[in-house]
Amino acid sequence: MIDFSMYDFKEPEIMAYKCEKCGTLYYPAPMICGKCHSRRDPVSDAHWETFALKGPCTLLTWTRLWNLPEGYNKKYLLFGIVQFDNGLRASGRLETDNPVTGMPLVATVVSSDERPGKPVNVFVFKEAE
Amino acid sequence: MAKVGVVGIGHTKFGNLSEFDLGDIMAYAATDALEDAGFLEKRKEIDQVIVGNMASGLFCHQSAVASSVISKMDMEPVPAELVENGPASGASAIKIGYMAVASGMADIVLVIAGEVMRKVTGWTGTEYVATMLHPQAEYDMGLTLPGFGGMFTRMYMEKYGLTERDLALLAVKNHANGAKNKYAHIQAECTIEAIADGPEANVVNTYVAEPLRMYSTCPVSDGAAALLLVNMDSPKAKLFSKKPIRIAGIASATDTHCVHNRKDPLKLDAVRIAGEKAYAMAGLTPKDISFAELHDAFSILELAISEEVGFFERGKSFLAVRKGETEIDGRLPINTSGGLKSKGHPVGATGVSQAVELVRQLRGEAEEGRQVRDPKYGMAVNFGGFGNNVVAMIFAKE
Repeated sequence: MIDFSMYDFKEPEIMAYKCEKCGTLYYPAPMICGKCHSRRDPVSDAHWETFALKGPCTLLTWTRLWNLPEGYNKKYLLFGIVQFDNGLRASGRLETDNPVTGMPLVATVVSSDERPGKPVNVFVFKEAE
Repeated sequence: MAKVGVVGIGHTKFGNLSEFDLGDIMAYAATDALEDAGFLEKRKEIDQVIVGNMASGLFCHQSAVASSVISKMDMEPVPAELVENGPASGASAIKIGYMAVASGMADIVLVIAGEVMRKVTGWTGTEYVATMLHPQAEYDMGLTLPGFGGMFTRMYMEKYGLTERDLALLAVKNHANGAKNKYAHIQAECTIEAIADGPEANVVNTYVAEPLRMYSTCPVSDGAAALLLVNMDSPKAKLFSKKPIRIAGIASATDTHCVHNRKDPLKLDAVRIAGEKAYAMAGLTPKDISFAELHDAFSILELAISEEVGFFERGKSFLAVRKGETEIDGRLPINTSGGLKSKGHPVGATGVSQAVELVRQLRGEAEEGRQVRDPKYGMAVNFGGFGNNVVAMIFAKE
């Protein structure tokens, strides 16, 4: 019998990294820790802790983009840069009717196949409930 | 190091040249530069050709453009290589050419840069240009260069009180200059009534990436430009018909690939550092600069760059624009060519185009109505990525 449970749907995630040697956090991750020069193995991530980047964050700036690139059939999309409580920052999409710099948001991740190529995981920052 | 000077300039008109081959356009500009220097017949005596281009593989489905240009100009066996540094490819090509001459490895170097972007739709072109962003953390999100322009503009507005009308004033200034520039893509003036104050302004000047509007964003252009560089200390410097314009300073610097990873995303450290290095090399300060060409792919960048290179205090440049200080007859004319906003922005060509404008102004060859009065030093800043790889150049009249 084939065990289909191994094909269970997995929630899309975007990973952040922590250098285990010096504790510096990164998103996205470099190959060499800028602080202690510890190297990251791109296959095993050995000596680097990985964790899903999600949850509460604060909006630093935003735009409503009207000239979307190839693949997007929407009238416009909102984009923003956010900062997480741990100090990491990320760029991604914004889903809120009235964006205001400084507003609290929650970072979620969805899979998107809009851009040419394979589907990719994309940040969507939503209003905190 | 040997002194390096520019003895020839060439430039196509910028605009929609999509019917033409990229190599042909580059060869046209290069031929003009050789003719300007009185060196067309002797072109096989050139020691090195450096070609600047950002994305011919994407826009034109063509690679190895340096080889293409050499053949089109009947210049074999002159050595030729390509330099790619995003939208700063042109100035990087000049920097590599400068290094070749200053080091003594070459006496005469031809720098050619060009881009044909309009063979594809704007939809596809926006996608191709976005490939210079961080592949996973920015590009995959759907972000584009105008998107970062919009977010940067909002940060600046909220911190310093810049208004959309201030950005429109930059467009009015730059279109006034570009309207008189024979090489400009958009040779038309615009009025503040039409794009900011009038009742139809929101229709004429629609949003592209809020709060950036169409008149705060450069057009998509095709075109090429070229420079002939010479070792001014070599006997070969006497072979040319034009008096050299000296490259007094040229330097570049880098910043984080991801914009969000900058300690202060409103600071353009690569611009500041490249500028400081260029000033140090030239032995000059911002007060010595007579005029400047600054990479206004988005109008906000003209302001931010002018502050990073020390022309104005941080957050104060738009106040100088309101007073007309950066107009042709102002204290420090900026983007005398019309800038990227009016002259156009064929990405890989822009740095060399800026250099051509510096030479035209320093020679006193700019068109009537946009010639700066008695300039001695001109500065250009060519901005790669969203400020992650920047080149600053200072040219001097000897």
